[in-house]
Amino acid sequence: MKHASLKAALRTALTLGILAVLIYAFLPKYWIFLVTAIFITGIALQSLGLVTGRTGMISLCQMSFAGVGAWVTGYLNVAEAPGGLILWIVLGGLAAVPVGVVIGLPALRLRGINLAIVTLGFAAAFDTVLATITFPGQTAFIQVVRPSWFESDGGYFALVMIVYVAIAVALEFVNRSRLGASWLAVRHSERAAAAHGVSVPMAKLSAFAISAFISGVSGGLLAGYLGTLVAENFNMMQSLALFAVASMVGAHFTLGAVAGGAMITLFPELLRRLGLPQDIGNVFFAVGAVQAMSTGETISETWVRLGSKLASRFRRKPAAVAEPEVKTARPLGTPAVHQPGVALEVSGLTVRYGNVLALDKVSLKVPSRTVVGLIGPNGAGKSTTVDAIAGFLPRYEGSVSLNGGPLEGLLATERARLGVRRTWQTTRIAPELTVGDYIRLAAPGIRPAEIEAVLEWFDCPVPEAAIASVDAGSRRLIDVAGVVAARPPVLLLDEPAAGQSYAEALKLGDRIASIPEVFGSAVLLIEHDMDLVRKACSDITVFDFGRVIANGAPQTVLSSPIVQKAYMGVELEEQVA
Amino acid sequence: MKMLFTRPAALAAVTLGSCLLAGTAMAAPTCEDGAIQVGSVSTITGPVDFSDGPKGAKAVFDQINEAGGISGCKIEYTMADDKADPQVAAQAARDLIDNKNVVALAGGASLLDCAVNAATYKRNGVLSVQGVGVDPMCFNAPSVSPVNVGPYTLTTAMLDYADKELKDEKLCAFFIILGGTQEAYAAAVARWEKMSGKKIHLIDMTLPLQGDLTPYLIKARDNGCDAVLTNQVEPGVVQMINTADAQKIEGIDWLFLASGYTEGVAKALPNTKQPVYLGTEWEPYTEANEANGDWMKTMDKAGLPKTAFSQGGYLAAKVLADTIASIEGPVTRESVSAKLMEGKAMKYPIAGSEYVFGDAAKHAPMQATKVMKLNAGKWEPISKDWYVLPAAE
Amino acid sequence: MNSLLTSAVAGLSAGGAYAILGVCAIFTYRLVAVVNFTGAAIGATGTFVMVALYESGVPLALAVPVGIVAGALAALAVGLVMATWFSGAAASTKAAVTAALLVGIIAVGLRLTGGQHPHNFPDLIPGSAFRLAGVEVTWAAVVTIAISVLFTFITEQFLARTQTGLELRALSQRPMAAELIGIRVKLLALSVWAVMGAVTAFALMVIAPQRAPDFMSLSLLVVPALAAALIGAFASFRAALAGGMAIGIIEGLASGLDTFSQYRGAIPFLVILAVLMWSQRGARFDEAR
Repeated sequence: MKHASLKAALRTALTLGILAVLIYAFLPKYWIFLVTAIFITGIALQSLGLVTGRTGMISLCQMSFAGVGAWVTGYLNVAEAPGGLILWIVLGGLAAVPVGVVIGLPALRLRGINLAIVTLGFAAAFDTVLATITFPGQTAFIQVVRPSWFESDGGYFALVMIVYVAIAVALEFVNRSRLGASWLAVRHSERAAAAHGVSVPMAKLSAFAISAFISGVSGGLLAGYLGTLVAENFNMMQSLALFAVASMVGAHFTLGAVAGGAMITLFPELLRRLGLPQDIGNVFFAVGAVQAMSTGETISETWVRLGSKLASRFRRKPAAVAEPEVKTARPLGTPAVHQPGVALEVSGLTVRYGNVLALDKVSLKVPSRTVVGLIGPNGAGKSTTVDAIAGFLPRYEGSVSLNGGPLEGLLATERARLGVRRTWQTTRIAPELTVGDYIRLAAPGIRPAEIEAVLEWFDCPVPEAAIASVDAGSRRLIDVAGVVAARPPVLLLDEPAAGQSYAEALKLGDRIASIPEVFGSAVLLIEHDMDLVRKACSDITVFDFGRVIANGAPQTVLSSPIVQKAYMGVELEEQVA
Repeated sequence: MKMLFTRPAALAAVTLGSCLLAGTAMAAPTCEDGAIQVGSVSTITGPVDFSDGPKGAKAVFDQINEAGGISGCKIEYTMADDKADPQVAAQAARDLIDNKNVVALAGGASLLDCAVNAATYKRNGVLSVQGVGVDPMCFNAPSVSPVNVGPYTLTTAMLDYADKELKDEKLCAFFIILGGTQEAYAAAVARWEKMSGKKIHLIDMTLPLQGDLTPYLIKARDNGCDAVLTNQVEPGVVQMINTADAQKIEGIDWLFLASGYTEGVAKALPNTKQPVYLGTEWEPYTEANEANGDWMKTMDKAGLPKTAFSQGGYLAAKVLADTIASIEGPVTRESVSAKLMEGKAMKYPIAGSEYVFGDAAKHAPMQATKVMKLNAGKWEPISKDWYVLPAAE
Repeated sequence: MNSLLTSAVAGLSAGGAYAILGVCAIFTYRLVAVVNFTGAAIGATGTFVMVALYESGVPLALAVPVGIVAGALAALAVGLVMATWFSGAAASTKAAVTAALLVGIIAVGLRLTGGQHPHNFPDLIPGSAFRLAGVEVTWAAVVTIAISVLFTFITEQFLARTQTGLELRALSQRPMAAELIGIRVKLLALSVWAVMGAVTAFALMVIAPQRAPDFMSLSLLVVPALAAALIGAFASFRAALAGGMAIGIIEGLASGLDTFSQYRGAIPFLVILAVLMWSQRGARFDEAR
C-alpha cells in the first residue's frame, strides 16, 4: 500500500503547493503575514490532532511543548549556534520530545480523563517555570535571525509552507503505516490493539513523542516569525483554546488543521474589523467545540461528507467500482510451519471474580493444525477462558502453555506476538481504518497480494474499502481474516458466526475447518451454531458452570445425554428469545 | 549619590518650559494625503482592561481635531486590542503599520505590546510613545519610549523612599514574576543597592499570581522586615493587606507600585491599620489640582472617567501632537521618527520628569514619582513634591 | 525546622480550599460520571454574583444566599448541556466538553467582572481562630476545612444509606438501566449539579478574600482540585480530602524553602504524577474497552 500513501502524500503536497503559490502571488504583504500564522498554528494543531484526534488521549499542554521548542530556538539563536534557524527549529522540536515522553509516561497507565488532568497540571506547572525565564535575547534586543533566503515576509511564508508540507506528507505516510493504524486501534480499543501484538505503551509514547516534536517545531517557527516571544504565547489558556479549536475542526485531518489555524488567526482579524471585542473568539471556540462533540462530527468531517455527496452527484455514477475481473483465486502462499504436537494446553485453569467462581480447574488441549470447538451455555466461562489464555485477566490459577512453553507472566501483547491470537465477540475494528490497513495491523509484514488473497478467501470487501462503510457481518469476517492472515500457531475465535446468516455461517464453517491446512494454525473455536461446529471441529470441549462436562469427537460429545441436558435445553430457550 | 527634590520653583520652570515648547512650534507641518494616521496597541479584553489609556489619547486627538487639527491636519486615531495574546498583538501592530499606515504609535497601554512588537516597530521605522509601558521591553528598546515611570524605576524609587524617608532598616522585596520580568526587577533592586550603598535584606521572586500569600507574609515577618515592597497588581494588593490583617502582622511598611493605585483598592481596604504606600506614575490622578487641570478638562469633555491610565494616554498623545506640530513640511513616518529621534526634552506639569525620545538604545525618561499613603479608604499624597531619582546611567 | 512547620500551617487554608473543590469534583464524577473542569468556574460565578450584589449595597445576609443560588444555576446550565447532549458519551468526551466550556466561561467571566479589576470581597467569616506555630489560622480556613469534612461525611452517608443515594449510584454506572427501572435520570443528574454548584460557590466565597480574587484565578483552582480528586482516584472522598489538604500543605512548605519556592506552581502536577504512578501501577487496560 505504499502506492496509496504516495498518492495521498502527493495530492496533499500538490494542493498545498498550489495554495502557497496562489497566496504568494496574489495576496498583499499583510495577508501573507497573516496566512503565515495560519500555517504555524496549523502545525501546532496537527500535533494535537495526532495525540488527541488520532490516539484518543486528551492533551491540554500542547502549547507547552511548543514553548520548549521556541525557547531552545531562542537559546541557539543567542548562542549563535551554527546551522541557522532551520536546524535550530529541528533541534527545538527534538528538545520537546523527551518532555513529551515524560508526560506520555503516565499515559501508559492513565486513561483518558486522568491524562487530561495530568496534562493540564503540566501546563500550569510549565507556566510558572516559563514565566520566570525571559525569552533568550529579549533583554539585549536580539531577534531570532531568519536565514537570508527566508528573510522577508514572503520568504518566511515560503519556509513555513515548506515545513508544513513536509510535516503533512510525513504524517500521511505515518498514518497509513502500521504505527498509524496502531494509534487508531489504541484509541478505539486498547485490548483489541494488544490482542494484535501492538504494544499499547509504545503506541502511546510514540504518539506523544512525535506530537511533541511537531509542536516544538511550531514553537520554533513562531520564534522566527515574531523574532521574540513572551510566556503568554504558550500559557495554559492558549493550550486550552487550541484544544477547543482542535475538537471543533478535527485537527487530525490536514484540512481540519488548516481550517483551525485559519480560525485562530482570522477570528481576531474579523473581530477587529467589525469593531467587536476580542474575547468573543474564545466563547465562539468553546461553543463550536461543544457543538462538534455533541454531534460527534468535526467540521472537517462534515465538509468531507458534504463534499463527497456533492462529488458523487456530479459523477452520476455510483462510486462502487464494478469488479468484472474474473475471480481467479489468488495464491494464498504456503501454510506456516509450526511446531507439531500440542499447540495450546490449558490445565487446571481457575478464575474467580470476587466470590464467584467463573472457571473451576478447567483443562483442554488444542493439538497443532486442528480445530477444537469450545461450547457451552451462556455464562459457562468460554470467553473467560479466552481472556485468560490471551492474557487479558489480571490473575488466574493454573497454567496456559503454547507449544509447551508456559505463558504465565506474559502480557497480552507479548502473548499475541508469540502467536496466541484472538478475535472478540463484538467487533473492535477502528472504523477510521481501511480493510487493508486493518489486515496489515493484524498481520505485520504481510505482502499486498497476500492481503487480497486472504480477503478473497473469506469473501471480505476489497482492501481499499473503509471499515466504516462495511456492514457488521463483514466486519466479523474481516476480524477473522486479520488474525488468520498472521498465521499464528494458535487462533482463538470467539463466536465468529454471530450475526451471520445460516448459509454464511456454514460457509464460514468450511473456511475455518480448512484454516489448519491452508494457513498452518490451530484453532480454538467458540460457537453456538452447532452445524458450524460439527462442520469445522475435529474435537469438542463442553463447558457448563465453569467446568468441563464433556470432551471428545463432535458426534459422540453432542449426543451424550449430559451435554444434551446442560446445553441443548438452553440452546432451545435462546432461540425462542 | 543623593536623590534630588524638585522645589516649587522648579515646578514653575516646568510650566514655563511647556509654554516655550508651544512657542517654538512655528514651522507648519503639512499633510497632503489626508488625515494623519496614529494608532496604538493595548490590552482591552482578556485578563485586564487598559482601555482607559488609548481612550485618553483619543480624547486629546479628538480635542485637537475639533479645534481644527494641527495646522489644519486632522489626526485619525486607531485603538487596537491585543487580548494580552502575543499573536493578536503582532497582528494588530502589522495591521496598523501595513494597512493603516500610521506615522507613529501613541498612548498604548498593554501587558505585552513592547515585548512582542518593539522589533517590528524598529524594522518598519515606526516609533512608539507608549502611554503605559508595562513589560520590560518598553524600557529596553530603541523604538519605544514610554511616558510612564514604569514598575522597574518605581521599584528603585520606592526602595529609596523607604530607606531615606521612612527610615526603614530592613527592606524586603517580593515579586510576582510574569512574562520574563525577573531580570528587570533584579536590575531595579541592584540599581537601588548601587545608589544607596546598602544591601536588600530579603528578595523573593516567587510570589504567586494566584494562591495563598500567607506563607510569604509569615516569611517577611519572621525575617524581621521593616518594609515589604511588592509589585502586586490591583487584586493582589487587597489580598496582601487582608492577609496581613488576618495574620495580625504589625510594624511593616507595605510598599506597592503604581499598579496598586486605584480607587478600587482603596475602597476595598476601608478599615486596615496597615501603613500602605505606593508610588505614582504621574501627578496623582485623585488630586484635583493645577498640574492635572488640562487633563481633567480633556477627560470631562470626552466624558471619560479619570484614571491613572488615561493620564498616560493623554500625556502620550500630547507628546506626539506637540512633536508633529514642530515638524516642518509633510508629516510622514520618517519625519515624525526623525523629530522624535532629535531627543528634545519636553516638559508637562502632569509628569515629574522631562520626556525625551532620542536615539538611545533604550529609553526610560521618566524618573519622578509622588508617594501616596492609604488613609481610611482613600489615597492621600504624602508630599506635594516629586520624588526624583538621579538619571539611570 | 520551626519555620518549616510555620510554612506548613500557612498552607492549611489553601489546602482546605483544594480539599473541598476536590471532594466536589468526585461528587460530580461519581454521581453523574463527568470529570468537571468547570467546577471552580461555576463556583466563581456564584461568588461574583454575591460580590456584585454586595457592592451595590445589598446586605450580606441576602447576597450570600443569592450568590449560592446563582452558583447552583450556573451548575445547572452546565449540567443541562451535559445531560441533554452528552448523557451517553464516553467519559473522555465529557471531560473534553467541560474543558472546552471552561475556555468560554473564563472569557465571559473576565468580561463581566472587569478582568483583574479588584472587587470588594467581604470577609464572610472574619478573624482568626487560633495561633499555631506562629501563624494565625483564620476562621475562614477552619470553616473551609470543616465544610469539606462535613460534606465528605454527609455525602458518604447519603450514598451509602439512602434510597436516593442508591439510585444515584445506579445512575452513574448504568444510566440506561437506571432509566429503565424508573429512576428520573435527568432530574436526579441536574440536582447533583445544583448541589455541586451551591457548595462550590459557598466555598469560594469563604476563601476568595484570601486568594487573588479575579475570575480566571478562581476558575483555575480547578487544577489543584482535580489533582486532589485524582488522589482519591475519583472514588474515595476521604482520600481526596486528605490529598487536597496535603497539596496545600506541601505548597506552603515549598514556599518556605527558597530553592523550591520558585517552582511551587509545579507542585500539584508533581504530586498527582507521583500518586498516579503509584496507585495505578497495576491497572493495564481501560475498564470499559
